[in-house]
Amino acid sequence: MRRVNSRLTALAATIALSVGFANQAYAEKIRIAIGHQSMCTDTYTAGIVIKEMKLLEKHLPKTGKYADAEYDISWSDYSSGGPITNQMMANKLNIGVMGDYPLIVNGAKFQETESLRTLYVAGTGYNLKGSGNAIVVPVDSDIYSIDQLAGKEVSTPVGSAAWGMLLKAMQDNGIASSDYILKNQSPAVGAANIAAGKIDAHSDFCPWSELMEYRGTGRKIYDGSETGIPYLHGVVVREDFSSKYPEVVTAFIKAVYEAGEWIRADPMQAVTLMEGWTGVEKEVLYLYFSKGGHLTLDPTIKDAWIDALAFDHTVLEKEKAIPPLDLNEWITEDFVKAAYSELGKDYEAEKADVVDAEVANKGLPNEIWHSRDGVTTYSDVPSFLTAMAQMTGTGAKLNATYVYDSETGLKLFGKTAFWVKSGESYNAFLRKGEAEEFAARQSGELIDFETAIANFVKEG
Amino acid sequence: MSILSPIVTIIRNQWASVLVWGVMFAIGAQALQLIMLMLRFDAFPNYLITYDWVGNAVRIINSTPSVKDMFPILFEEWWIEIGFMNYDFGNGISEWSLNVIPSRLFILATMGMLLKLFVVLLGQKSCSPKNTAFAYAGAGVGTLLISMTTAAMSWVVCCAAPSWVVGLAMLGLSVSASLALEGLGPSLFFSGFFFLVGALLFLSSRITKYGEDGKRIDALADCIDARTQSSDVGITNNINSNSDSSTLSVRT
Repeated sequence: MRRVNSRLTALAATIALSVGFANQAYAEKIRIAIGHQSMCTDTYTAGIVIKEMKLLEKHLPKTGKYADAEYDISWSDYSSGGPITNQMMANKLNIGVMGDYPLIVNGAKFQETESLRTLYVAGTGYNLKGSGNAIVVPVDSDIYSIDQLAGKEVSTPVGSAAWGMLLKAMQDNGIASSDYILKNQSPAVGAANIAAGKIDAHSDFCPWSELMEYRGTGRKIYDGSETGIPYLHGVVVREDFSSKYPEVVTAFIKAVYEAGEWIRADPMQAVTLMEGWTGVEKEVLYLYFSKGGHLTLDPTIKDAWIDALAFDHTVLEKEKAIPPLDLNEWITEDFVKAAYSELGKDYEAEKADVVDAEVANKGLPNEIWHSRDGVTTYSDVPSFLTAMAQMTGTGAKLNATYVYDSETGLKLFGKTAFWVKSGESYNAFLRKGEAEEFAARQSGELIDFETAIANFVKEG
Repeated sequence: MSILSPIVTIIRNQWASVLVWGVMFAIGAQALQLIMLMLRFDAFPNYLITYDWVGNAVRIINSTPSVKDMFPILFEEWWIEIGFMNYDFGNGISEWSLNVIPSRLFILATMGMLLKLFVVLLGQKSCSPKNTAFAYAGAGVGTLLISMTTAAMSWVVCCAAPSWVVGLAMLGLSVSASLALEGLGPSLFFSGFFFLVGALLFLSSRITKYGEDGKRIDALADCIDARTQSSDVGITNNINSNSDSSTLSVRT
């Protein structure tokens, strides 16, 4: 009997151990490592917002084969897309978010290997005509248009989207690469040199140009929208990861979507929180994320984006001998469609919806951000300038003001716009040249922001 | 005697010294790169990050199916990152950094060991008429090319991807020239080793020569024999395992 008991005990122990091991096998630890950029506004909905709002945790699958899964989520912040690709190559990151040119490099570098691939699975946001990149000059510079850059020193972070934009802009304006001195400078160094007047012009990506404008050190002379090539950002995933955990990739895109909705719901609150998370001034972020801002948050992959990426690849091919990239193999809508389906959203409808600032921003109100009272809106320029006159007259502290370029519909800081007064009407312009042309046509006069405000100061 | 015999003899008898030279050279080269960065950017490094190189290497091996892909990725894997973080904007941006990469350390150490062999061989007495200027030139060019192509520095302007041309750009070469040279990296690197090894073999050959039977003989001994016959001077040709400057010592 004792022998039988001991056999039963051994059997029970074996079964218990087996069950234990089996449970352990199902309780898989899934490592999700994401590379993002807290100094690149257009990546926020697939980076800092998801991280801080814990949106990925909210959407991660917890049923079926993931019932016992344990997630190990890590976030790594980078100042550009290049190192994210390197870290993905070493499988230290599974997911990366970056701008169009670095995305192209990512896809091409992976396709150059024998056994590794990434997939472009979703967008984060875009500007249809290319706003976000810009060329800036020192605020006191006598350079007002890109034509004046011939023979000058221009810096840019080589390899970035801003570099690609600069090359295109120069080509479009008939300035050969031998006609200007191209210097390789980081955003921070470029911004510091613009502040110190050590460089004639600096081309950079979002939000550096606006940061320089907001700090009063730089002035835009060329906006990326003039190239007419969409500026977009997106999400790439290692293919081995997406094959093994497709539901996790879908969950990530659902988080991207929700991050966009959260920002749209209350841009003011969003930028205030994002300032704390990223260190970028909320007034600058507002220029991107508010209604009429530079950035349209949209995870869909539009046909025009594929064309834009193909074009970007040709630019890089000309300059850097980048490896070939098969866009059809690289880009997939499967995950983003699955995410929309699970969220109950109409993917095709959102994919078809394209926001053009020139059309969409028509009639949007000008805004004043009072440091205490928040943002107030004004449907026309005279009422905006009247309010400005009143507020500045009382010494009120204003964080920023926002108006729209009469030419392109781009949202601008009021203080950096060129103003034209023609009769009783006032128009704001991004560039001096267009303001002058408009003034000549309308028999108006070119004035600065302070003069425009002064015209609305009531005596007594 | 093979042309490699003097080199093998030095390694056999002075392996510890050769190894120390290699390690010290690798450390010294990295320190020099850091100093050059500090001078170039006029700033001290303000951050240092160490990485789990072994763990990361294991991860790369496990997740890269193709061996052909695996080695280049392993070759670029960092161990230490030391650089300057600019906090003027946002939460800080790594402006520049030196990346200590074990594969590069290994190359630098190998180069250091080759240079040690070069120095020792140069100290060998020889009555060969071959001019050492060729050896100096070969070793110099080789060292320059290897050092240049193994530099692993990051600069955010080049999207922060460590590359040897980033180093050139940082040190003043124009962006376009640097980028144009990038594809030549492997060729320049192997050319460097070719020159350095060539210089070693050249020096080694100075103390070996072929005998009438077609076999290599010790040129120095042969030369000394000739001198012995003519001047009747006592000569000893022995392997000196304790000498740091010479493996083949000659007393006259």
